Amino acid sequence: MAETITVTQLNTRVRSILNGNTAVSDLWVTGEISNLKKYASGHYYFTLKDNGSEIRGVLFKNSRGRMDFEPMDSMKVAAFGNVDLYVERGSYQFVVANMRKSGVGELYLALEELKKKLKAEGLFESSCKRPLPQYPLVIGVVTSPTGAVIHDIITTSGRRFPADILLVPAQVQGDGAAESIVAGIESLNRHGVDVIIIGRGGGSIEDLWAFNEEIVARAIAASKIPIISAVGHETDNTISDMVADARAPTPTAAAEMALRDRKEINKQLDVDAARMRRSLSAIVDRMKGRYASVDSKIAPRRAQDRVSMLSMRIDDLSNRMDSGLKEISRSRTDRLIRASYGINHGGARLIGDRNRAITGFSERLNALNPLNVLDRGYCFVADGEGRAVTSAASLGPGSIIAIRMRDGRADAEIKKVEIHGE
Amino acid sequence: MANEDTESMTFEESLKTLEQLVKELESGNLDLDKGLEVYERATVLRDRCKKILDEADRRVQKLIETSEGTKKEDLVID
Repeated sequence: MAETITVTQLNTRVRSILNGNTAVSDLWVTGEISNLKKYASGHYYFTLKDNGSEIRGVLFKNSRGRMDFEPMDSMKVAAFGNVDLYVERGSYQFVVANMRKSGVGELYLALEELKKKLKAEGLFESSCKRPLPQYPLVIGVVTSPTGAVIHDIITTSGRRFPADILLVPAQVQGDGAAESIVAGIESLNRHGVDVIIIGRGGGSIEDLWAFNEEIVARAIAASKIPIISAVGHETDNTISDMVADARAPTPTAAAEMALRDRKEINKQLDVDAARMRRSLSAIVDRMKGRYASVDSKIAPRRAQDRVSMLSMRIDDLSNRMDSGLKEISRSRTDRLIRASYGINHGGARLIGDRNRAITGFSERLNALNPLNVLDRGYCFVADGEGRAVTSAASLGPGSIIAIRMRDGRADAEIKKVEIHGE
Repeated sequence: MANEDTESMTFEESLKTLEQLVKELESGNLDLDKGLEVYERATVLRDRCKKILDEADRRVQKLIETSEGTKKEDLVID
């Protein structure tokens, strides 16, 4: 005769069958989390499912403490634990003792393997790194056409050395992303740009994965054009970053690496200007001395006047130079950086800032022009080979000279030469 | 280098030549006529650098793959 038992007895028996069976104990189960609920007690209740089936799951507070991530809905995981039965409800469930994100372990493993392999081939060697050009004309960018990366690069480059930007729209995550990035690098190599930036914004290791793919690493190494890699955040270190010629922590930093600061370039031009100023002043000083000695032999009084006038002229030039310099420092401080894009129907254009400093540079150069000394009626006399004629003794009847005046020159033939003094 | 070449020079070449001329001026061995010549040449190069640096309109384009190959299109970022 069949045995009669209570519901509680039945559930208790089933529970002990499950508990004693090694087929459903101490195993890893893979699936996706859904219906996740976290209780005040610190326990997590959820459903673990795959395409065909599902099971209730529970993660107790003390087990959660062993994990290094927060479980979330639709997360794919591998859960370690046992099947158990909740007697009061007659429902069975998977009691999770530990959990890890599925696939991540394998990803890391594959990453380490690939790193080892590429390192052994010398792909990370600094001797493989190509130098970045100082003044590129065109920057190629391989990234998503909609992300923040291209936006940041365009904005930043507006205040740097002016270069065209050529984007190759690429898929930067998901299936086919690696192939898309490789195609972008190859396309820019065919097209011929001066430097390439590849990158994407931050994300999980899976999101950044394309930049850890071997084909991407090989395309970077094979590129004839230097490549700057700007992938994820500063803490993310992808294989692309290691193979690339330069690594930038952000897209903004990548643009700054590719293009020098305009202010720095201006500073350089100012230094050159200051050096020219000194040299030209020296030349003017030599001229002054020359006039003084020649004129003192002709008419001492007139010579003195001329020297005074020259001195005033030189003092005036110096003043103008100094005020020119002051004007430059002021305009530097005041300068607004305009990196907005003015979009007209023709397309996007960058309106860069005008460099007033350079205008100051021009004025100073003009102020220094030794030809200005000729304003006062002095002439500059050159011989047939363009050399300065400083002595009448070097000329004779029939010599051809070029007389340079403020606004032009006149060629003349010498009729007669008189030598003063001894 | 002749002045006519200046227009085709890149920024980098212009700047490099400008710096060479500054060094030449600094050597202190130049006559007034030679000094003038170097000065004038340096001025042309300075103007060239200024022109390039001042260039406000820069092209921002994207490369599109089509059946007939690649083509460039202006890029508009929202």
